[in-house]
Amino acid sequence: MSKPAHAHHEHAHGAVPLVEVRGVEKIYPGGAKVAAVRGVDLKVERGEFTALAGPSGSGKSTLLNLIGTLDRATKGEILHDGRNVTRLDADALADFRLGALGFVFQSYNLIPVLTALENVEYPLILRGAGASERSAAALDALKRVGLEAHAHRRPDLLSGGQQQRVAVARAIVHRPALVLADEPTANLDSKTGASLLDLMEELNREHGVTFLFSSHDPAVLSRARRVVHLQDGELHGEEVRAR
Amino acid sequence: MIRLAWRNVWRNGRRSLINVASMGFGLAAIMFGQSMMRSLQYQLIEKATGSFTGHVRIQRRDVDEPKFPDKFMTDPEPAGRLLENDPRVLVWGRRIQITGLISAPKMSLGALICAVEPEKERRITNMATYIKEGTYLSDGAKGVVMGRKIANRLDVRLGEKVVLMAQAADGSMGAEVFRVVGIHETGSESFDGQMVWIPLKAMQELLGRPGQVNQLAAKLKDIDQAAAVAADLDAKLGPGNVGALSWRSIDKEIIGIQAFQDGLLTIVLGVVFAIVALGILNTQLMSLFERVREFGVLMAIGARPRWVVRLLMVESALLGLVGTALGIVLGALLIDHFGRYGLALPVGEAFKYFLPFPSVIFLRPSWGMHAFACATVFVVTLLATLPPALRAGRLKPAEALRHV
Repeated sequence: MSKPAHAHHEHAHGAVPLVEVRGVEKIYPGGAKVAAVRGVDLKVERGEFTALAGPSGSGKSTLLNLIGTLDRATKGEILHDGRNVTRLDADALADFRLGALGFVFQSYNLIPVLTALENVEYPLILRGAGASERSAAALDALKRVGLEAHAHRRPDLLSGGQQQRVAVARAIVHRPALVLADEPTANLDSKTGASLLDLMEELNREHGVTFLFSSHDPAVLSRARRVVHLQDGELHGEEVRAR
Repeated sequence: MIRLAWRNVWRNGRRSLINVASMGFGLAAIMFGQSMMRSLQYQLIEKATGSFTGHVRIQRRDVDEPKFPDKFMTDPEPAGRLLENDPRVLVWGRRIQITGLISAPKMSLGALICAVEPEKERRITNMATYIKEGTYLSDGAKGVVMGRKIANRLDVRLGEKVVLMAQAADGSMGAEVFRVVGIHETGSESFDGQMVWIPLKAMQELLGRPGQVNQLAAKLKDIDQAAAVAADLDAKLGPGNVGALSWRSIDKEIIGIQAFQDGLLTIVLGVVFAIVALGILNTQLMSLFERVREFGVLMAIGARPRWVVRLLMVESALLGLVGTALGIVLGALLIDHFGRYGLALPVGEAFKYFLPFPSVIFLRPSWGMHAFACATVFVVTLLATLPPALRAGRLKPAEALRHV
């Protein structure tokens, strides 16, 4: 059953939400100046497994990018764990992403010259972790996605599903508060996509990783416990399902 | 970062190889050019100082032309003692150089008469090595050594007599008979067609100038010390009318040639550096364009913009190191090859008129200059990468991730 997004205020612990989007608007410069996202208010709590749904061009990716601090809002504010990140400079945003966020992209976006293990290690390298610490953590993450046997393979020797699993391992290796996944199954066949969603659900359920992902595929959306609908850049209600 | 950078360098192996090759061949060409110019200059200096000038000279300050001092030192012995006592001097000798007339039965010619102390002169210059007929001069004997061309013009042969005439101290024309003891062939028109060599003592008698000379010429243990030795000697000689000069103040035309060649080399090197820089710039721009999305990923997972800039700069540095190493190896091989077997250069023919100059140049490395070229190629590589690297650093992650 659908209900307005702003009605979702069930803070599990009464604490500040993990993500709070306040009146966000994004207009891309040049051209017709049409708002890709406008007037969006949204809260995401810890432990959620939430999907942004909507047709192509509805603003799902733009909103994910704004929440992920990969892009800057034209108007409005975005708070992570109560911290306003809207006006941080590029370095501070990079540091924030490194500490708090993990990303999974539609086209995997692994670094082709690095092995699966090295790709997963990368966020830890950027954090300055020691070699043994990051290797152990990366192996552990690969184990969690069931790919420890492929740790030393380069992406071109892995299937699409395996690459996306490596991308998930990279997204969770530094134990971020939130993993943002933009159409994570769009390039996978339905069976592999379902398997990836199983993995994401398992990580959410057993390791408490908060997932916010976008999709327009009803089969994928059916797996989310909360689905926020977007249309023409605006929120268009949401559904919350029981666990 | 270095591991990632190294793998990035070789992800497009063919392009990197072309890049490295262009750097390597460019640097090798630069080293070859530097070595050729320096070896030519070195040989020029060696021939000029080794056949005529010497490394350091003491002579009158008030001469018209330092190369051919026409005024006499009435008491050269104090200056001689300075040379004798300087440990940097290998050997020194007294000389008179004067223009005069040489007469044979059939013909008379103007000539530059060089009067030397034979035993010392053998070690100061290498003229004795060019003797093709007969022997070099010896003390005491009234012998004359001359070039093949002047001998042919005078139509004299070994053992025949000639008369040398020059203006004596009292203004009269002094004349003396000398026997031809040696004929040299240097290949130089100036040396073989205009100069004759006689013992100093005979010349002093001819001119009525016992004990007088118009120059003291010294060969040093190290030619690079010439300026310092000349300055020290000059200071010790004091403000009188006798001073010391290094070969650089005498063979000014060589300094001029050096300056011209260095200028030319700088222009050529500038062009080569520019070509290398443009090659790198092109490659890095292509690489940047291909990897925009990847930079977006790196930034998304937490890489700071300057980290991305640094990554590209490290890639460039690695490429530069490999290219420079290749250039050093190729350049050293080229220089070694032409150092062993020589490089035939038409420019040798041009110098031959003035000096006994070989047509073949034997290359030798000039590591100081090569090090500068290597450093410049490396720095140019980094500088050429800077604009694309800074551009990568300014990418917005979301836009970069959208890049196809």
